[in-house]
Amino acid sequence: MFFHNFRYSLKLLLKNKQLVFWTLAFPIIMAVLFNMAFSNIDNTEKLDPIDIAVVEDDGFKNSLIYKNSLESLSKGDDRLFNITYTDEKKAKELLTEHKVTGCFKIVKNEPVLTVNSNGINETVFCYVIDEIKSTGDLVTTLGTEEIKRNIASGKINMDYEAIFTDLTEDVLESDANIKDVSVSNMSYIMIEYYSLIAMACMYSGLLSMTLINYRLANVSAVGKRSAVSSAKKISIIFPSLCASFLVQLVELALLYAVLIFYVHTDFGNEFPKIILLSLVGSVAGLSVGVAVSVLIKAGENAKFTGLVGVIMAGCFFAGMMGVMMKNVIDKNVPVINKINPVAMITDGLYALYYYNSSERYLFDVISLAVFSAVILLISIRGLRRQTYDSI
Amino acid sequence: MLSVQFCTDNFFTSERGSNVPEKIIEVKGLTKEYKELKAVDDLSFDVYEKEILGLLGPNGSGKSTTINSILSLLKYSSGSIKIFGKEMTPSAYDIKRDIGVIFQEVAVFEELTVYDNIDYFCGLYIRDKKKRREYVEEAIEVVGIGDYKKFYPKQLSGGLLRRLNIACGIAHKPKLIFLDEPTVAVDPQSRNHILEGIKKLRENGATILYTTHYMEEVEQICDRIIIIDKGKIIAEGSSDSLKRLANIEEKISAEIHSLPEKAVEDAKKLKYATDAVYDGTTLSVSYSEGRDNLTRMVDFLRNNNYHYKKLYSERPTLNDVFLELTGKELRD
Repeated sequence: MFFHNFRYSLKLLLKNKQLVFWTLAFPIIMAVLFNMAFSNIDNTEKLDPIDIAVVEDDGFKNSLIYKNSLESLSKGDDRLFNITYTDEKKAKELLTEHKVTGCFKIVKNEPVLTVNSNGINETVFCYVIDEIKSTGDLVTTLGTEEIKRNIASGKINMDYEAIFTDLTEDVLESDANIKDVSVSNMSYIMIEYYSLIAMACMYSGLLSMTLINYRLANVSAVGKRSAVSSAKKISIIFPSLCASFLVQLVELALLYAVLIFYVHTDFGNEFPKIILLSLVGSVAGLSVGVAVSVLIKAGENAKFTGLVGVIMAGCFFAGMMGVMMKNVIDKNVPVINKINPVAMITDGLYALYYYNSSERYLFDVISLAVFSAVILLISIRGLRRQTYDSI
Repeated sequence: MLSVQFCTDNFFTSERGSNVPEKIIEVKGLTKEYKELKAVDDLSFDVYEKEILGLLGPNGSGKSTTINSILSLLKYSSGSIKIFGKEMTPSAYDIKRDIGVIFQEVAVFEELTVYDNIDYFCGLYIRDKKKRREYVEEAIEVVGIGDYKKFYPKQLSGGLLRRLNIACGIAHKPKLIFLDEPTVAVDPQSRNHILEGIKKLRENGATILYTTHYMEEVEQICDRIIIIDKGKIIAEGSSDSLKRLANIEEKISAEIHSLPEKAVEDAKKLKYATDAVYDGTTLSVSYSEGRDNLTRMVDFLRNNNYHYKKLYSERPTLNDVFLELTGKELRD
């Protein structure tokens, strides 16, 4: 019974053109398109640091965090910025004449950015300043706490400036985010590929959802036929999930083959960890597919379209359509990417290649596993159901 | 107007002898409610071994709901259902092993060929590959789609698709077969093929519960008929016995282009006439007895100079029975 269902599940998946397109062709087409569109960006950026103007007034001079950070990012051969320190009028002139990408000044201790257009350089500029602001906020919080602690312990005479300077240096040294966008480490195309891998993992949900739809009497006519047969539900559903997983593995292997041999992506020594992350991510995708099939009351086509939409939204929030988006979501609505499996997968990849953090990688893998287990447990009740109020 | 009518001549005693066959399905007090609507209302009936029982009723009368409830696909509000003498439940796999179902919707995979579709569904019951191959070939032969084994469903006509649908439900040689409107939207050739196939299945020993709203079909293949309306049984019996409930022995129709109202009233006064209606093109007169009615009708039309095109005599149909019992037509 297992092999009978498994064999036919494979046939059903591989002969479904719509499925093959979304789960196999679409990620590969995207990889090729990304390669064509962005392959020169990294090289170009390495050669050309971004020109910016900084209004060097008292406000800027007093904002040590911005002053020190921008200085450090404009030094060396692999510098990110070419900075012109000037007054506000001259800065605006440079911007108007397109001699700089953007201009930066401090107004009431808050950074104000002005840019001419919305391009990659502008995005990087905004991203870096945003990161520095976060770091500054962190320094302020830590400094305030240290001062409070000193006062509580009776130490009233303190060198306040030294406290904040030390903290700033510590934070700048330890904070990986700013370093991440430095020219030597930052690769936009890799971020796009990571999102693509995450998307391909999640598309396994389309495979499982399609097959589970075929097994449920309240979803499809063939589901009714299966439900009245003498085969136990588990004996049909388990082989279906196994077949979905196998097809997913083959499709992922093809995607990686394209990324490695055609696009020439270098995954380095961490490839086994990527494989593990992809497998767990694919299980998460399968789980989401099962949940959508079981828990959402809608037609087969509506479910398919809905799931594609949800996965694409997950990719959007994880930064696929704009590198900044993940950061914006993480800062403003962090809960979205905490439960967004696409973000968990991409974060695991960032952990391996940018943050070089095994702990963060492991956390992402475990988070995905827990996410899959929870989603599957929620779905099991619906899967066990055998009679319906209406069909 | 609704009243349950049971024919006096028992099908089994009058037409099959005195030995009462085994009950294959026993439905008692089946009720299915959707909020305030009673889709099935206190339905009780039995299906006997090797008979074809027709469940006849208009669309929305509760036929499919009854079948889905019997199959434990639908939760029902009250009642009891036994199949092969055992209580039917969703996990009664031993019962399900001997059941075949042909649903109203075509339930096949678009991605699989005709052969693979039948093989897949047969494989849910039969594990032995060799035996399954034989069964699949037999099912293909029964429904007459041998030339289309390698075709995909979208390459088949509506009639062939329905035949494939049936093959998928009967390939495992079930003892009890549910056919829920299997001939909807089917061409006459395929319909005849399907009906012949169903008769063959019965000849091979299967018991069949057949739902339809086509009265001609139940008359053609069913041993016994249950007429339902609004979820209730309104009549039950063989085709002949049911027709007696219509209180009509003969119906004579004349195609006439125009007819004064008075003519209809006069027609009602003809000897043995029980009713007369004119729908703008045809005058139909029903008779309680069937002697010399045609002669009297011809005389009536000629004497009154009502020029008719065609004149024909009919035996009462199940539609007349339904009309008599509910005041509406089966296909209303």
